Amino acid sequence: MKNIFRIMVFGGALVAASCTDLETTPRQSLTPGTALADANGYESLALSMYGRARAFGYYGQNMMIEPEILADNLRIIANTGRYIGEEANADRAHFNLWDFNPNNNSFRGVYAGINDANIVLAGIENVPGQESLKNRVKGEAHFMRALFYFDLARVYGYEPGKEVNGWDKSVILRTEPTLGFSNADFRARATNRQVYDQIISDLQAAVNLLPTATLRNASVYRASRGAAQALLARVYLYDSKFAEAAASASAAMASFGITDDGTGLATPANYISGFSTAPNPESLFEIEIRSNDWSTVDGVNNSVCSLTANVFASAQFIVTATDELINSYETGDVRRNAWVATTRSGASGTVYRSAKWLGHKGDFLENLPIIRAAELFLIRAEARYRTNDAAGARADLNALRSKRGLGAVDAALSGQALFNQIMLERRQEFALEGHRWFDLKRNGMPITKAGRFETVPYNDYRLLAPLPTGELQLNDQLEQNPGYN
Amino acid sequence: MRKVLLLGLMLFLGSAVAFAQNRVITGTVTSTEDNLGVPGATVLVKGTTIGTATDLDGNYSISVPAGSNVLVFSFVGLRQQEVSIGNRTTINVALEPDVQALSEFVITSYGDQSKREITGAIASVKGEVFENLPVQSFDRAMQGRIAGVQVTSTSGAPGGTLNVRIRGVGSINAGNDPLYIVDGVQVASGSLSGQGPQNALASINPNDIESIEVLKDAAAASIYGAQAANGVVLITTKKGKKGVTKTKITAQEGIVQPLNLYEVMNATQLATIKRDAYINAGLNPANAAATYGNPEDPNLQSYDWVDELYRQGRLSVYDVSVSGGDEKTNFYLSGSYTNQEGQIVQSSYERATGRLNVTHRPNKKLTVAANLSLAYQRTLGTIANGNFVNGPFSAGFTMRPNVPIYNEDGSFKADYPSNHNFGYNIVQGVYEELRRGTSVQTVSNLQANYQITPWLSWTSYFGLDFSDNRDENNRPSTIPVFSSFGGQSFYADRRNNNFNTNHNLNFNKKFGDVHTITGLAGYEYKGFQSEETTATGRGFANPTLRYLQNAATPFAVGGFFTEFKRIGVFGNVKYNYDDRYDAEFTIRRDGHSRFGAQNQWGTFGAASVGWRVSSESFMQDLTWLDNLRVRASFGITGNSDIANFASRTLVGNTGQYLGSGSLGLSQLGNDLLTWEESKTINLGVDWTIFNGRLIGTVDFWRKDSESLLFDTPLPIDSGFGSITRNTGSVRNQGIDIDLQTVNVVSGKFQWNTGFNITFLENELRELYDGRDRIGNDLIVGRPISFWYTHRFLGVNPANGRAMYDDANGGYTYIVGESTLQYIGSGLPTSYGGLSNTFSYGPVSLEVFFQGQFGNLAGNQDMFNLEDWGASTGNLRTNQLSYWKQPGDITTVGRPYEGGQAPGTSNIDTFSTRFLSDGGYIRLKQVTLNYVLPSAAAQKIGMQGLSAFVQGLNLATFTKYTGQDPEVVGIREFVSIGRFPNARQFSAGLTLTF
Repeated sequence: MKNIFRIMVFGGALVAASCTDLETTPRQSLTPGTALADANGYESLALSMYGRARAFGYYGQNMMIEPEILADNLRIIANTGRYIGEEANADRAHFNLWDFNPNNNSFRGVYAGINDANIVLAGIENVPGQESLKNRVKGEAHFMRALFYFDLARVYGYEPGKEVNGWDKSVILRTEPTLGFSNADFRARATNRQVYDQIISDLQAAVNLLPTATLRNASVYRASRGAAQALLARVYLYDSKFAEAAASASAAMASFGITDDGTGLATPANYISGFSTAPNPESLFEIEIRSNDWSTVDGVNNSVCSLTANVFASAQFIVTATDELINSYETGDVRRNAWVATTRSGASGTVYRSAKWLGHKGDFLENLPIIRAAELFLIRAEARYRTNDAAGARADLNALRSKRGLGAVDAALSGQALFNQIMLERRQEFALEGHRWFDLKRNGMPITKAGRFETVPYNDYRLLAPLPTGELQLNDQLEQNPGYN
Repeated sequence: MRKVLLLGLMLFLGSAVAFAQNRVITGTVTSTEDNLGVPGATVLVKGTTIGTATDLDGNYSISVPAGSNVLVFSFVGLRQQEVSIGNRTTINVALEPDVQALSEFVITSYGDQSKREITGAIASVKGEVFENLPVQSFDRAMQGRIAGVQVTSTSGAPGGTLNVRIRGVGSINAGNDPLYIVDGVQVASGSLSGQGPQNALASINPNDIESIEVLKDAAAASIYGAQAANGVVLITTKKGKKGVTKTKITAQEGIVQPLNLYEVMNATQLATIKRDAYINAGLNPANAAATYGNPEDPNLQSYDWVDELYRQGRLSVYDVSVSGGDEKTNFYLSGSYTNQEGQIVQSSYERATGRLNVTHRPNKKLTVAANLSLAYQRTLGTIANGNFVNGPFSAGFTMRPNVPIYNEDGSFKADYPSNHNFGYNIVQGVYEELRRGTSVQTVSNLQANYQITPWLSWTSYFGLDFSDNRDENNRPSTIPVFSSFGGQSFYADRRNNNFNTNHNLNFNKKFGDVHTITGLAGYEYKGFQSEETTATGRGFANPTLRYLQNAATPFAVGGFFTEFKRIGVFGNVKYNYDDRYDAEFTIRRDGHSRFGAQNQWGTFGAASVGWRVSSESFMQDLTWLDNLRVRASFGITGNSDIANFASRTLVGNTGQYLGSGSLGLSQLGNDLLTWEESKTINLGVDWTIFNGRLIGTVDFWRKDSESLLFDTPLPIDSGFGSITRNTGSVRNQGIDIDLQTVNVVSGKFQWNTGFNITFLENELRELYDGRDRIGNDLIVGRPISFWYTHRFLGVNPANGRAMYDDANGGYTYIVGESTLQYIGSGLPTSYGGLSNTFSYGPVSLEVFFQGQFGNLAGNQDMFNLEDWGASTGNLRTNQLSYWKQPGDITTVGRPYEGGQAPGTSNIDTFSTRFLSDGGYIRLKQVTLNYVLPSAAAQKIGMQGLSAFVQGLNLATFTKYTGQDPEVVGIREFVSIGRFPNARQFSAGLTLTF
């Protein structure tokens, strides 16, 4: 029996000796040191910025629908609780890019993508890797950071020079990475000038670092020199820097081989079908989505296709074009075909489903065109109009119209009428692509609802989105936009 | 505390009467196990050699000399009892089974102690209290039975998981679950399955449980150091006893019914309120009629969706056990089968368990033992706990009553309007979607004990909690929303491996007849690993095919791995002087892999003292006082219940882009992260008076949880939401009261009462970096769970609008940040249970109430069902009293399609309208039991035969507006689509032979 005792003591000691370490490994995660050891690691980080843009709280749904329904392009035809407040411009029924909950991973809001970009820009120079890869990844970080800040700036603040009552607060500006607790300090909102300057300098850097992309090619799924030039043109336009906007639009056209007469744009015959082609033949920058980015019911629950069209049996189809938009198209305009007459139970009369969002990749799925070539002509037309080049503006409109099944505008079109025509072309060209609200706002125009709801004048507090309550409570330096109680 | 002592002293002085003659005392000694007389029990006059033994029926007669006033009753296997004689001449004693007396055969992981010596706060519940209750898991059986222990179910699903909170909620972000130890195995709680709540603790058949001990304060729990801050629940399973082999068979059948279904509108009622909502919103009422039907149409058909979803289910429980033993070996062998249907169609729970507990003593020094269990659980789950279109508890009530459920041929209608619940036919969904979780689990151990010297022994112990789970979720293409991709099947395989081993020396020595020192020193290791693999396939040629090899598209794969390790060394010394004074000291040092490399180790400990006042010689004349003891303890325990890699900066997968995996920083690390500590003070008094007629325990406690494992918020513009730091402090304090009384004994009639209640309060004392609040979520000086929202003032009779307190003395229709205010606590301030047992000869009736009080509870089901006609689904019938014209005084305002009339806040804006008093009293259990007299049983060849009928959740008294106040949850703000508890009735037979 002594032996048994010895065996027990020995066995126990053996077990004790073998179980004395506390080493564990989170096998499906990495440490920053391992993950970001070389330029390829940073490229993986950069790819997540594109992925974050897919979130339904961002370009995946909100940035496409919200600007249309807050403005005058869409109306509700079925009450599911969604966008009901937005249609009426109700208090706090607005964008939330600051801390929306995404569909696919744990980050919240647009700032997580900004931090990705900041980490890339702060660290990639210190690791080994091919210079060309480093430049590309840096360029992508500059480009995406600019896009993220631009979207924040136009949602939460006025454009520079368009302030109401001098309110020039934009969003919190961070260009250094948060890698630890000490980096996550509390900050006040920067001015719109500071944020726009940051966006412009990022895009200028991106233009110099990024490779060129080719239309109708998978290269538009990542940031490119031309895409950076196009986004820069848009930013200049918002910033009322019209000469720079026109020049940058021209540069973008050159990058993509688009000529002033519209060659390179989709033809009238394939304008609509282009939206069911991957990539869209006019996409300068497009976010690619694959079916496994979505859970089983994401398509039916959250896709733009489900909300705007009834092509799939279980689609929600809750919004349709307003009568004003439908009635605005000229005869022969292929863009009118973006709306297909149909009916919907519970909604009286004819309603219109989108033909831009048909889920052509199956089960509500399709890519997200962020910047299309047509915009370059409209940016330049507007910039030329603002710089007293009506002829140039008309030429740009006519180039675009020639690809939409329309003839030239009145050769004498100028002044306010010309401006109105540019705004109308934008409205029709980008219906359901998330431009309308911003186009009205940056031009200081009221939001009219054809009598269905009260007009929202430009100086109304609802032009700016409310900041999240939780963030205001957490950060004493953060100020709410005026008018929110 | 002081008052109790003073009272005791006064009573002592007032009853100091001396006795001075020889007396003859007679009586009967019985065993509480079977209430039969104990033959051969020893009856001894304390402090003398005068003694006798009981006869065959357990009767005795003894002559007690003058000056002696205490009798000592003892029998092998039963706990020795001392009884003061006082002026009685008849003393009947019921002896309880003595775990320690059997402990030559029973060893738990660290060592036993009898309740008599305990200086910490320990409460226990015996297995017989919940024997044969159809409750699946022992945590549910504890509900309302133990002071200081709150058990709530977040789901009433059969076999579902529960929340157990011992003495309040101390952690804000770390876990608040106690440590569960089954025969020494530290088991993981929670759900095994992702397809329905499948309680990991349900692998232990409650009928196999001998007793449950709850270690409530630091003195009791600190030997478990690192994990003990939330208390410890010790489960001891049944062991065989020396003697004739006993066989016990129980069979039980019953029914399960919904408790309290919401009453929803019929088609005409809904069409009426919707028409008004359209008119009030300036919309065409014809569109309302097109969607909801014409309220004027006398032929408008109504379809009862709720009736199609709920049912009366069946429940069956079968148990068999065989136990016995001889001088060297004892065994307990059992098997069971449970099958319970839920109140909702397709929901069910099935379990089979087997157990073998065996102890063998090859010689006087060595004891080896094994407790082996195997359980198979299968849950057909239901989507619950959220506002899900495919969850019957949320969507089921909202389905439009004017829409048919079935086609004429009996098949499901596939064209439910797509603008409501995504066109999902919930009845079809519940019937056709398969959600199945199947688990096999063992909680087993091997142990050996060697008695080195009479006072020193060595124990080696190995415990394993292993589970293997498969989840299946099939969404067939016959359901329209899943048809576009041809249906989908999801499979998940999980494996949890939870191992603990300890090796310790135990000593127990008595010096000079009055000094007893016991103690132990040991080492423990625990390791946990969990792995999961998932796969999803889409595109099935036929909806009845669901295996992955039939999928046209291999859609997605996933996987998961996590682990932790913990090491501890510990020591404990107890000193007892003459059965009067106790002192106990415990120390433990633990290391945990979860913490920052610089701070992995923590030291915990406790000290406690006890004084058995009743054993003092000056108390011996208090004849009515059987036992009086006071205790005090202080100690520090730890909490490490956070994510396994919470201290590290992690780069994780963020999905794919263009087919390449993308990475992102998923967590900010903290190298300094370490243990959350809880400091507990406990003052307790235990008493037994009037010859066992009134047994009571009162504990006064305070638990300060400090250096909390706190997810301190970061500004979201930093890219992260929070970082885990050690900061903040929460105080819980309260009083636990437990009383057991024998109220009436009159002939064959006896009335016993068991009552426990806990009063407690919770206060956040500190946050971080000097802050006194985090938004409206946490405020220093308030409980850690409260409601902070807009105060709903009612419906303005003038215009039917919702009025809210504008926080300025007036009212407003539009709420905002400025109208948010503190409303009240979400935590109960008291909870408890009351059990009354009436027995008359062979018949006994137990009536058991359980309840909680003082918490405000949310009812988010109201978002759907009480939105004044704003949304597109069906409503509760209480919405029919809506505002129609100026002057109407009502609680339901003017219906407005979409819910946001100009100049108002959306009607779904959370406010006190959604809150109600969450307190309740529930008639939890009524059991009527009949025991056939043993003579009659023996005639039919049985040792015993009993029959019982019982009912569960029979009545509820509450002001809560939802279906079931019990499933609201503790510190959970979302109470929508919960699976409510069921009412159950069952009847059964127990045979022993």
